Amino acid sequence: MTLEARRISKAYGSVRALEDVSVAFEPGEIHAVLGENGAGKSTLMNVLSGFARPDSGEALLGGKQIPLGQAHECRRMGIEMIHQHFTLVPEFTVAENLALAQLKSLASRTDINELARSAIEAGQRLGWHLDPSAKVRELSVGMEQRLEILKSLATEAPVIIFDEPTAVLAPDEVEELFRVLRRLRDEGRIVILIAHKLREIMSVADRATVLRLGKWVGSAPVKELDERILTQWMVGDLPTVSRREQPGVPQPFQSFEALTIRGDRGEIAVRNVSFELRRREVLGFGGVDGNGQVELAEYLAGARKSQATTHIRPKNVGYIPQDRQVDGLALNMTVQENMTVVGQRLPELVTGPFLRMRQIKAWATELIRKFDIRVRGPEARVGALSGGNQQKVVVSRALAERPELVVAVNPTRGLDLKATQFVREQLRRASDEGAAVALFTTDLDELFELADRRLFMTGGELREADKAEAMFGSTTP
Amino acid sequence: MILKALGAIFALALLLALTLWAFGIPVLEGFRLMAEGAGADKFAWSRTLVKATPLLLTGLGMVVAWRGGMYNIGGEGQFIVGGLFSATLAELILTRNIATPPILAIPLLLILSALGGAVWAWLAGWLFVRRGVDVVISTILLNFVAIQFLAYAVTGPLREKPDNVPLTRAIPEAYMLWRPDRQMDLHAGVVIAAMMAIVIAIYLYRTKAGFNVRLAGESPRVARANRIDADKMRLQAMLVSGALCGLAGGIEYIGMARQLGTGFSQNWGFLGIPVALLSGLDPLLAMLSALLFGALFAGSENLARFTSAGPTLIYIVQAGAVLGIVALRAFRSRRVIQTPAT
Repeated sequence: MTLEARRISKAYGSVRALEDVSVAFEPGEIHAVLGENGAGKSTLMNVLSGFARPDSGEALLGGKQIPLGQAHECRRMGIEMIHQHFTLVPEFTVAENLALAQLKSLASRTDINELARSAIEAGQRLGWHLDPSAKVRELSVGMEQRLEILKSLATEAPVIIFDEPTAVLAPDEVEELFRVLRRLRDEGRIVILIAHKLREIMSVADRATVLRLGKWVGSAPVKELDERILTQWMVGDLPTVSRREQPGVPQPFQSFEALTIRGDRGEIAVRNVSFELRRREVLGFGGVDGNGQVELAEYLAGARKSQATTHIRPKNVGYIPQDRQVDGLALNMTVQENMTVVGQRLPELVTGPFLRMRQIKAWATELIRKFDIRVRGPEARVGALSGGNQQKVVVSRALAERPELVVAVNPTRGLDLKATQFVREQLRRASDEGAAVALFTTDLDELFELADRRLFMTGGELREADKAEAMFGSTTP
Repeated sequence: MILKALGAIFALALLLALTLWAFGIPVLEGFRLMAEGAGADKFAWSRTLVKATPLLLTGLGMVVAWRGGMYNIGGEGQFIVGGLFSATLAELILTRNIATPPILAIPLLLILSALGGAVWAWLAGWLFVRRGVDVVISTILLNFVAIQFLAYAVTGPLREKPDNVPLTRAIPEAYMLWRPDRQMDLHAGVVIAAMMAIVIAIYLYRTKAGFNVRLAGESPRVARANRIDADKMRLQAMLVSGALCGLAGGIEYIGMARQLGTGFSQNWGFLGIPVALLSGLDPLLAMLSALLFGALFAGSENLARFTSAGPTLIYIVQAGAVLGIVALRAFRSRRVIQTPAT
């Protein structure tokens, strides 16, 4: 029984999440799907599991059409998806959560232990001992994931999709998970693994498929691949020269020595890093997500403290945060109001404690025109804008203050080509006009196109670009 | 927007009709009595406006706090503490015979009431910012503390005479708010409340502080990313909110009550919640919704005078309004469909 995706396309607004993607998943194989953020892996899996309806294309399981866009029907056909974010009820016990997954309808019988039994037995066969009466909120993350897996193992589902299952696990938990994956494979099921850690894929997957920017790049047995080829498939050909035509003459701006920053949970997110920011220069921080970039960016932007803050931080910072819908924009407020977040610092837009509404409106209208933001007017709700236009609001606002320092985190993530070019152009211009720019990006193309100097972050530490060769293949021209 | 408000008013009328019917009162006769009590003559209008005054002020208090993401349910406690602060000052002036002309005493009494309300709200705000205590819980509980404080004060230190009924000393006529007509309750507090609605509208929509309060309410993370201290703004929202509720208490005290008893607040702090909700958290529309609820109040008092229905009617209608609005919100947020991210 093969699971086949045929010529699937799917767009979210103007962003093409999937373009004409065809992949076949064979039973008895662990098939890894790789790609950078926004490559379309999750969208493809959402299509296969019925959570998203594609714009075109079809999917077949054992020659039978999958009811696209109907998650419940897909589950009934035996396609189970184990989500990155767990779908457990924290206040319920282990048994209750397992029973919930088996509940056919609200009217069906509800003997918890009866319903949960097959899942608990599946767990015992794997050597997992979960206390059925323990409350889920008291479990560790690894245990929660096991529970999530058991929910799908209770059925004899022929297809099990794991959405980045290792992201939250400790190393020994990862090993344990892989043991289970292999076992499921040996039972003859189709195991699909979404991931972006290459080393893990090399050790567990039998076959790998790579997506890039919504397109299929390649599929091959893992033993015919190595990390270098996979990296190249994932990020594309590395640009050989910096495309910046006339790099300015950098001037010293601020240097940081042995900077350590803690994350939200008190863990050390950035460890002992030293670097220098210069005016008229874009300093690029590359590396895979979650290695301290966000924390460092927030520190530079003045949104996060460090224990020993000895640096005088510039007052005038333009910040383009990682997630425009969470940190960037108040979605229920208007475009003008979202611009006012920064605009209130401009002396010409305020009088004492008062906002000068007429001037603010004129200013916002001007920004909308200058940045070509497609919107009815400054009074439109920001939440109603497309992703690209939302990002333009963030960028226009960040640069409106003529900041001395611009901090940008993945400023073009999820944008279409035109919007991407536009945002990059704006950052380059800010730098040409004398700002120091700190660019954090997981997109190597962007890093090489924009940054005059490049550093890489791994595990909260910085590496010079040439020392990162081992990780990314050849990065120096 | 206007359609929505009309729909809400129509639904309220329907609810009122059902309630009258349940009480066994002829519906049309009931409506007539209520309309008469709320707006038949200048006395009726005076009653409506006087009821609308504390409703508007506590309603504005809710608007500011809720806009800042602080779900203040403690208007009642802040109203009471405002009255208490004011009464304490009056007691000092009267017992120590400090010569205070009304032109000084009246503003002082009102300022102190606002201060009292602000202090009470600040407690809840501080607990939230420093300790993460849910504002809904802390403000509700602080209401009970305030009620006990009031009971203690009027039976103890602020009691007029040890043997009398538990009431504070009545303030002299000169310290009461100005009235255009001695035969009516209408007092200058109505104007103060209306002015406050305008002041709050300017605060929320035309000042940096008010803007940042709204930003902190909409998205504390956006505020943080832009170096705006969301906690500070939320604390400020609580202070302004508490001051408004306290001022409502002060105006009730020197406009209507003259003295405090254990029944000083007729749930004015709680009734500010439906006023704020019906206005859609808009300070100017709050004037209309306060007027509407004030009319309901005055009308149902008239109804109570002529029929078997007590003034409880108003609470039923208001509770119905709150439930309706809450249900509508829940229904609307349920319809939001989340598309999975790529």
